[in-house]
Amino acid sequence: MKKHILALLAVAGLVTLACGSGSNQGAQGSTIVLGAPLGLTGSLTKESALTKQGYDLWLDWINKQGGINVNGTKHPVTIKYYDDTSNANQSAVLMQKLITEDKANFLLGPYGSAATATDAAIAEQNQIPMVEANGAAQSIFNQGYKYTFGVLSPANKYLQGVLDMAATLNPKPTKIAMLSADDNFSLEVAQGVNDYATGLGMQVVVYKKYKNGATALTAEVQAAKAVNPDIVLNSGHLAEAIAIHKAAKEQKLNAKIFAYSVGPSTPDFIKSLGKDADYVYDGSQWTPQVKYKSQFYLSVSDYVAAYKAKYPGEGDPDYHVAESTAACLALQRAIEKANSLDAKKVRDALAALDVTTFYGRIKFDSRGINTFKPMVVEQIQGGEHHTVFPSDVADKKPMYPTPSWDQR
Amino acid sequence: MADLVQLVTIGLLAGGIYAAVGVGFSLVWGVLNIVNLAHGALVIVGAYLTWQIFTASGLDPFLTLPIDAVALFAFGYVVQRGVINRIIRAPLLFTFLLTFGLNLIAVNVLLLIFKSDFRSVTTAYSGAGLDLGGIVVPYIRLAALGIALLVAAALALLLNRTRVGLAIQAVGSDRDAAQLVGIDLRHAYAVTYGLGAACAGVAGGLIAMIQAITPTAGEPYTLQAFVVVILGGLGRVSATVVGGLVFGLVEAFAQSIPGSGSVFANAIAFGVMVLVLVTRPQGLLGRLR
Repeated sequence: MKKHILALLAVAGLVTLACGSGSNQGAQGSTIVLGAPLGLTGSLTKESALTKQGYDLWLDWINKQGGINVNGTKHPVTIKYYDDTSNANQSAVLMQKLITEDKANFLLGPYGSAATATDAAIAEQNQIPMVEANGAAQSIFNQGYKYTFGVLSPANKYLQGVLDMAATLNPKPTKIAMLSADDNFSLEVAQGVNDYATGLGMQVVVYKKYKNGATALTAEVQAAKAVNPDIVLNSGHLAEAIAIHKAAKEQKLNAKIFAYSVGPSTPDFIKSLGKDADYVYDGSQWTPQVKYKSQFYLSVSDYVAAYKAKYPGEGDPDYHVAESTAACLALQRAIEKANSLDAKKVRDALAALDVTTFYGRIKFDSRGINTFKPMVVEQIQGGEHHTVFPSDVADKKPMYPTPSWDQR
Repeated sequence: MADLVQLVTIGLLAGGIYAAVGVGFSLVWGVLNIVNLAHGALVIVGAYLTWQIFTASGLDPFLTLPIDAVALFAFGYVVQRGVINRIIRAPLLFTFLLTFGLNLIAVNVLLLIFKSDFRSVTTAYSGAGLDLGGIVVPYIRLAALGIALLVAAALALLLNRTRVGLAIQAVGSDRDAAQLVGIDLRHAYAVTYGLGAACAGVAGGLIAMIQAITPTAGEPYTLQAFVVVILGGLGRVSATVVGGLVFGLVEAFAQSIPGSGSVFANAIAFGVMVLVLVTRPQGLLGRLR
């Protein structure tokens, strides 16, 4: 009983506080409702939780400012979440529910290219802008949709940064072995490499596709070894990146560069491989070391600090968190520029947006994806992630070439 | 030529793991007539056991294998005695449902305890290996193949030379007759499932040293065990070993087909299985039952 009274008192206190701060801000507008289906259960739990962290980090900040400023009136914001059980079809159903039942003013994206693709169709039908941060497959943006905007660099750019970096290194690596999973996203990453390499005077000498999720990849690595490549690239997923790297060591495949699209940026990669993880590169949307000059919201270091304060014990924010926050920032800035909560006007403001944040430049091409922000390249050095390219945002130089396995 | 030898080596070494996973599955299927859909989960339980002991105590992962075997034998014995025995005479569909359910429970308990993070047993000698004139043979995979063969040999010896093994075989060929001569069916069933689980546990320990594991990593192994047993043939340990090695070879060669060959590695392996079923329904070395 005592506990209940205490709880009631606490709630009463909070309510008074909330009212108090509200009245200090002058006129308070109606609450802006944002909606996002996320995989709070199912196979994408981990990535979805990171996405939610990114959204919530911005939500706390904007409400502390009193809300989004429209015509001199501050509108507080809420984000309505639903659990799509990591299922793309379910995600689309919930998106519709957010629009019709919860009257969401604007939409934030789900996690993953598959769910983003189904949700983009819903946003388009209802003509409600969706700003997303976790669907990089270009197939989403090649449908002619006008209401979906992605703040992240598209899939084909994922490993192009690594090639740009490789072109600056001495001796210059030229022969590429490409191992790709057979899902849409990974194939787009691989295609991006194929299209880009020749322009830099490099060539893909072996290109092997394997089944998404495969863990027995020794024979593929052997095929790569047969051509003695300078660069070993993988566009796939964490499990496959680990399998390929283990097989590379076993088969004594010595390349100057090992770069994997997804995997090395996660702590699991270093934990699984120990010292063998050193020298591995990956393309990343963002790293905590980048040095972008933020035009509004937090600076990079303040962002990292804010994350650590809200989520203690989780280490640095990874790029999933940062890009998710960036999606909120793009939406906020577009609402402010449109000076309206009208969906059509905000859409037009998004299409015209050009702003630099802690996450880098946000500007959408005619399809609605952010092709203006470069991918950064990370390398694992001494068991830690360091940004090594582009050099103007890097904190370390690339350690090149990767020593052969028997000299580590 | 060197490439070919290397490919055969890769295939045989991978095949050792498939054989280790297959022998337990084959035993349970042959004697209990249960297609154990929880087999992959048992494999991963063994893998996590090895990982947990290795990370907590630093014990060499190969020394954890006997612990895996004993722990999973006990676990398997209890599960069979307490749960599966209740439906052992029910139609096949019920055993499917039950073992599928056991699989879900095991995987989700592992998810609760270990989350979906990737884990891997990485020792000082991980990735090192022999270099025989350009042909690479990683130590761990070689040892895994050796242990797989040892486990299979021990199982064959146990089944053919010991009292309990002969009792298991008797139950496998005619359970009513076995009961008539005084064999305790419930005990024999439970020992059989326990042995199957023990083999799965050892296989899991080996897998933890070779690949990164998550709680859901076991599911492909159930499927592979199924193919391996069909390929080799039911009813003999040696047949399963051959099935495993053949499966490893087929997979390696399928993966080495230029271009998108490896996308179809599974399809090719299944194609070979269908071919064997059509031309030699008892499997490469199996006895017709």
